[in-house]
Amino acid sequence: MESEVDRQEVRRALSDAVRDEDAHAVLRHAQELLRSGKPADTMFCASAFGKMKDALVKQAACRPLKTFVVRSVTVEPILPFLTVESVLAGYILDIEIGGYGAYMDEMLTPQSSLDRSHAELVLVLLDLEEISGRLPDLCATGLGTGVEAEIAESIARVGQMLRSYRSRNAGRLVLQGCVVPDNTSLGPVGDGNLKYGLVNAVKELNRQMLAVCTTVPDCVFFDVDEIAARYGRANWRDARLFLASRLPISAGAFETYARGVVRTMSVLFRAPRKVLCTDLDNTLWGGVLGEDGAHGILTGSAFPGNCYLEYQRYLKQLGARGILLALVSKNNEADVEEAFQLRAADLAVQLDTFVAKKIGWTEKSDALRALANDLSLGLDSFVFVDDNPTECEAIRRYLPEVAVVQAPADKPWELVPMLADKWFFDSAAITEDDVNRSKEYEAQAQRDALRDITTSRDEFLQSLGIICTFISAVDAPLARSVQLLAKTNQFNLTTRRHSSTEVEHFASTAGGQAVAVRVRDRFGDAGVVGLALVSDQFVIDSLLLSCRVIGRGIETALLSFVAQRAAKMGGKWLIGEFIETKKNAPCADFYPQHGFERVAELDGAGSIFYRLDLTERMPKSPAWLTIEGDPTYEFAADTIVTS
Amino acid sequence: MSSQQIPSSLRDIFADTLEISSDEVTPELSMESAETWDSFRHLQLILSIEDEYGVQFDPQKIPELTTVAKVQQALEQKGATL
Repeated sequence: MESEVDRQEVRRALSDAVRDEDAHAVLRHAQELLRSGKPADTMFCASAFGKMKDALVKQAACRPLKTFVVRSVTVEPILPFLTVESVLAGYILDIEIGGYGAYMDEMLTPQSSLDRSHAELVLVLLDLEEISGRLPDLCATGLGTGVEAEIAESIARVGQMLRSYRSRNAGRLVLQGCVVPDNTSLGPVGDGNLKYGLVNAVKELNRQMLAVCTTVPDCVFFDVDEIAARYGRANWRDARLFLASRLPISAGAFETYARGVVRTMSVLFRAPRKVLCTDLDNTLWGGVLGEDGAHGILTGSAFPGNCYLEYQRYLKQLGARGILLALVSKNNEADVEEAFQLRAADLAVQLDTFVAKKIGWTEKSDALRALANDLSLGLDSFVFVDDNPTECEAIRRYLPEVAVVQAPADKPWELVPMLADKWFFDSAAITEDDVNRSKEYEAQAQRDALRDITTSRDEFLQSLGIICTFISAVDAPLARSVQLLAKTNQFNLTTRRHSSTEVEHFASTAGGQAVAVRVRDRFGDAGVVGLALVSDQFVIDSLLLSCRVIGRGIETALLSFVAQRAAKMGGKWLIGEFIETKKNAPCADFYPQHGFERVAELDGAGSIFYRLDLTERMPKSPAWLTIEGDPTYEFAADTIVTS
Repeated sequence: MSSQQIPSSLRDIFADTLEISSDEVTPELSMESAETWDSFRHLQLILSIEDEYGVQFDPQKIPELTTVAKVQQALEQKGATL
């Protein structure tokens, strides 16, 4: 878009797309128009999106979210930017804004306007003045008198606000931190050196605010200071408009700010991608192995090899937190093995850093499909990194679910910043299961090898020595249960993405159940991999199993476990529900296979119901499984009262 | 002053911010006459205009810029290239 004429052309095309109700065209033209950086164009797009809500939901799978903004500052001029950034990220925020002075009342009082909004997302945007208004004066000397006490008091107030809201509502929370102030009376040198100067006090306040967020279910901290620092603190706030209109951010920073809000809140609604597939030549190392030979490829401590080393280290760190790494390369396998051996000292990764390898001369789209199959993961959890534009384009075209990152072959130092800028691995919490995931995939390979030498399926399963331990979903820990609900697609009977509050509700209702299963065998510990939620009416609201452990009868053991507990609590029957999605065909016949009968009269929108009479038939756990955890035992968590 | 005299860049900002068609943007259009021109849209308008023409208004002047003509006049006083 080079001239004003082009800009007017794009605006017309956007208006035409709105008239035609073509959501994809609207998104395409909006992205082009927004490159102008003109606020008026953002408003033009926000207005266009506003007219297209239904089409964006139906055609572009945008997710509508009822949103409430709890605030102490002026946010209205930022809303068009928030609308635009959220639509580009796949959300349509239906925003209600709280009163300036009402934030305490909204958060603490039952039946407040916040409660009545039934918001699915709550943004808590307060200024330092409200969170810890006495701090600037207390920090004036830098000596610390009263600073820690003021911070403690502020944190207690924030914690009470969040917990009080959480005790009454299930909406997911975003708590914005404070921007570290500039123009302090101690000056940058004094503030840099004094622990109790305002700068370090606000950093401490932020640190404690994020700690509070980790104790509140479905609550994430928005580190606005990090975004302000990136943007440039000096230009972050326009003092003129803050003092005149309580506008906390300068107009030039609206877009950056709105993107930060949306990136942060996204982790509450979207699971991170799980697999990174990397190319070798001119991506993991410089040069072409087939031409330059093992000693000719660039990697190691000297430039430009160290650019590739940086990328390898970054991959290794992703691997450490549970992102599965895979190699997809057109090369001779023997050459690659030799290169990893001969250049081991110059590489930050080894061959076995990668849980899967597709090295050969097949098309990369076929290799990715095969990998998805091997790892039992959907292609929508894949990221593909390759320097070759043709390979990248082929993946974009044939496997549009895969996120493609084209490595800049002539500027290898830009690859890590490019990856870090992407949202697809964002996660606010890392669980132990994430960390152990790579090991679990190695164990899977050993299991596959064993299957090749044992004769029958039962014999194979018997030889695995599988142990299932049933625990309360609240103790799984709870974050893991919610993660399973959010991420599991294939073996998931209803695909309901419940929040932790909702899981706790099943656990704490008399007659309800929230059960998780942990699985280990002679090769390794798969961790908590299955979950069932049952209502007090003995309806199985959710039943799911991670695809890593499908086919070992664990789903039957889980059903048997909740059936026995239901019977013990007086249940005469169990009702099973199935909601078909694009991905859950593998479990479509789960209930009929376990003796349930269709109850057509219960069927509702998209739901199919089944019933099993527990007085006639009790599902039995397969003989090859060892079960730990007593179904007749009352989990401690069943008696938890969430309020 | 006829509507022809409003520069198209300024007309766009008013039309986009107030969500009206550019034909409706006349020099006489005011906070009173335009239904969508409330105090928040007013702030939005001012921010967009400041960005477009690289000027800053005195906060005490901002509430007085209640018609298209007044905004245009204030811009001319600031020496903005319209």
